[in-house]
Amino acid sequence: MSATVVALVWRTFICKACGLIYDEAKGDADSGLAPGTRFEDIPDDWACPLCGVTKADFEPHDAQPLPRRANLNARAVQPRASRRDAGIVIVGGGRAGWQTAQALRELDADVPITLVSACSGDVYDKPTLSVACARAIAPERLVRESAAQAAQRLRVRLLPHTHAASIAAAARQLRTTRGTLHYRHLVLAHGAAPHSPATLPPELCWRINDLATYQRLRAALGERRRHVVIVGAGLVGSELANDLALEGHGITLLDVQSRPLAAQLPALASGRLLDAWHGLPLRFVGSVQVASVQRCDGMICVTTACGQTFEADQVIAATGLHTPGQLARSAGLAFDAGGIAVDTATLRSSDPHIHALGDCASIAGQAQRYIEPIARQAQAIASAVLGTGDARFTPGAVPLRVKTSSMPFTLHGAIAGKGRWTTDLDTADELRMTFRFRNGDAGIRLEARRGSVSARHPRPAA
Amino acid sequence: MSAVLDHPIATPTRDAEAMLGAVREIADGPLAELADDIDRRGVYPEAVLRRLGEVGAFQAHLALNGERDYGAAIQAITEVSRVCGATGFMMWCHGVCGLYMEESDNPALLGDALHRHARAHTLGATGMSNPMKTFAGIETLLLRARPVAGGYVVNGTLPWVSNLGPDHYFGAVAVVETDAAPHEIMFMVRCDAPGVELRPCPSFSAMEGTNTWAVRLTDHFIGAAELIADPVRPFIGRIRAAFILLQCGMGLGVAQGAIDSMWAVERQLGHVNEYLDDRPADLQQELDALTERTLALARTPFGTDTPFLIDVLDARAHASELALRAAQSALLHQGARGYLMSSSVQRRVRESHFVAIVTPAIKHLRKEIARLSTPVMPA
Repeated sequence: MSATVVALVWRTFICKACGLIYDEAKGDADSGLAPGTRFEDIPDDWACPLCGVTKADFEPHDAQPLPRRANLNARAVQPRASRRDAGIVIVGGGRAGWQTAQALRELDADVPITLVSACSGDVYDKPTLSVACARAIAPERLVRESAAQAAQRLRVRLLPHTHAASIAAAARQLRTTRGTLHYRHLVLAHGAAPHSPATLPPELCWRINDLATYQRLRAALGERRRHVVIVGAGLVGSELANDLALEGHGITLLDVQSRPLAAQLPALASGRLLDAWHGLPLRFVGSVQVASVQRCDGMICVTTACGQTFEADQVIAATGLHTPGQLARSAGLAFDAGGIAVDTATLRSSDPHIHALGDCASIAGQAQRYIEPIARQAQAIASAVLGTGDARFTPGAVPLRVKTSSMPFTLHGAIAGKGRWTTDLDTADELRMTFRFRNGDAGIRLEARRGSVSARHPRPAA
Repeated sequence: MSAVLDHPIATPTRDAEAMLGAVREIADGPLAELADDIDRRGVYPEAVLRRLGEVGAFQAHLALNGERDYGAAIQAITEVSRVCGATGFMMWCHGVCGLYMEESDNPALLGDALHRHARAHTLGATGMSNPMKTFAGIETLLLRARPVAGGYVVNGTLPWVSNLGPDHYFGAVAVVETDAAPHEIMFMVRCDAPGVELRPCPSFSAMEGTNTWAVRLTDHFIGAAELIADPVRPFIGRIRAAFILLQCGMGLGVAQGAIDSMWAVERQLGHVNEYLDDRPADLQQELDALTERTLALARTPFGTDTPFLIDVLDARAHASELALRAAQSALLHQGARGYLMSSSVQRRVRESHFVAIVTPAIKHLRKEIARLSTPVMPA
């Protein structure tokens, strides 16, 4: 194309304040600009004929309209669910949300279901996030079924990347960032959120509680060996430390307690876990309280109250979960230390049209942060809201599995009284212990066996 | 009937009660008389605004003579918006300008200046739509400031600033053009000062009487007497919830006015109106719950934690959505009589559209709620 031809193309410019378009071909007759007046030839004191701003507030305009396309953020594969009657509305695109959709659909082929998810809503197993390396699952392969496929399969109207802002309970409305939904029943399955103490600023510390964040962490770690400080040696912190160490990253695991998993395991078992970690690039530092996390020379410095400083490429905070109370509060729901207070058998909240399950629900004042009960809770809710079926939820003792793959633990039973641990078997590879109450009854059985101990993917240093 | 005033949570103090009674008298009297002229003939209701100032409608939210009462300030705007949405909007413009002055720490904007403002002896406004959208990442600042001896020289044009007149003033923000890291200043622009030019705007639906002008600043000098905030962002962070809470009165009032007009035809048209969606009793119940929620939030107007801000943004969005639905339904309830150009019912449809699009518009509120709801994580 020659320079002469380019010069003949008329350009358009758009007013950033009001959207008026100046077309060089047409000019602006009202202010004396003849057709063909180039933008650069317009006097500086010329005013936008619509809103009065000057030429400086115009920018080049791309007149090519965007192609019209379906709204990707609201897939109405279940046309019966509309805003006016969204049917049964589920808040949360994790396991509890999808299990509820599934349980409802199994009992009723026609009831409109709308699922509101703050994330993409893709279906994955959250516990896998802390064993993905041990199982050699690449982060991008953790999705079992896309949200769109699940919505299609269950005929659910899906609103992904949509935040629930409040509940107008009397009017039975859920207010979201993509509009207001009128519900017949509302099921809260939004889960729990990581604690965010001020000493662990979110712009410097990862909090791994969903797939997207985990994928971003793994991308940030990249291919080189990184130094990672993990704050908190509970279940999530210990499992992630073990798993990322298997990938060859250098891990420093910090806790206020003197040993890892102090709330879950007896001291001997913690000691055996530390033994099992011996062959990994994993260092546990106990009895320390983090005082600050700051950027320093391209690294992140984690400083403890006792004055130690640890340098890291990435910092992960694993200091526990709490149930966000904002939605429940907006609906005036009963809320206790464990989360949204619900009836045990039906999972019904203090509002007869609102149920809750999974990590956000509180049964008898206790948070419910286990995977196993979720499907049974969903069935109980489906029975209750549809008035069919007879599923009722009964809490049972759920075995606790600690997925530290160097030495995984299983604990059966619960501590419900005073007693002490006894050792039944303690070899280089295996540990068996029993917690006995004072009357001699067995309360908890602990089993552990040594697993993989060496880094599977030795990495080049960063 | 006033569900807004009679609600159990809205137990105003005796002072607030007296003020709100006086405001209602003005709204139902001289303002109701003038509303059609404001809307269709572009009459600026200056006398009404001054009268509202005399009865204390613009000082409830200021700490001048005692405790701040944001609830009462919102209810005053509600009572006026119920009769005339344009005047309710101008109350917000003037009221939020008082907020800027009181929070400025500038002696020239406090003391006698603030007292005169609070009584509406002088009238003020706000040119903050562009900065608010800029801080939310939607626009860029239209005013530019250059440091000079003793202050700044400001250039640029703000497209639409309401409640202006030759003797009025308004708060605005400019980006300071220096070699150092960019920062902004907030200041008061006096409309009669050198380098300030008010330029006419095209006609606006439902807002003809609001004295809305484009304001062009040409080498306009800002000295210490005009400065409201430097730096601006912490200041905006502090007043943001209060700024938005006061706006809720517009939506609550327009919705109440619409519900009033549904009841007005119930005796004659109830037998057919019963087939409509959004009947007045349902809307009133929703409005009462929203009023209660808004007044509860108004007890801590300077809250800054994220869940509180989300609540405030959502209450403001709900007020807009409810005004839209109520105004639309009122027109359907009234039928042809509400469609007359002289009818307040069709005027209220246009007012409800204004409530929904004035900054922060429904879409801005939702975008901001989404941003605040997304956990921060390392880059």
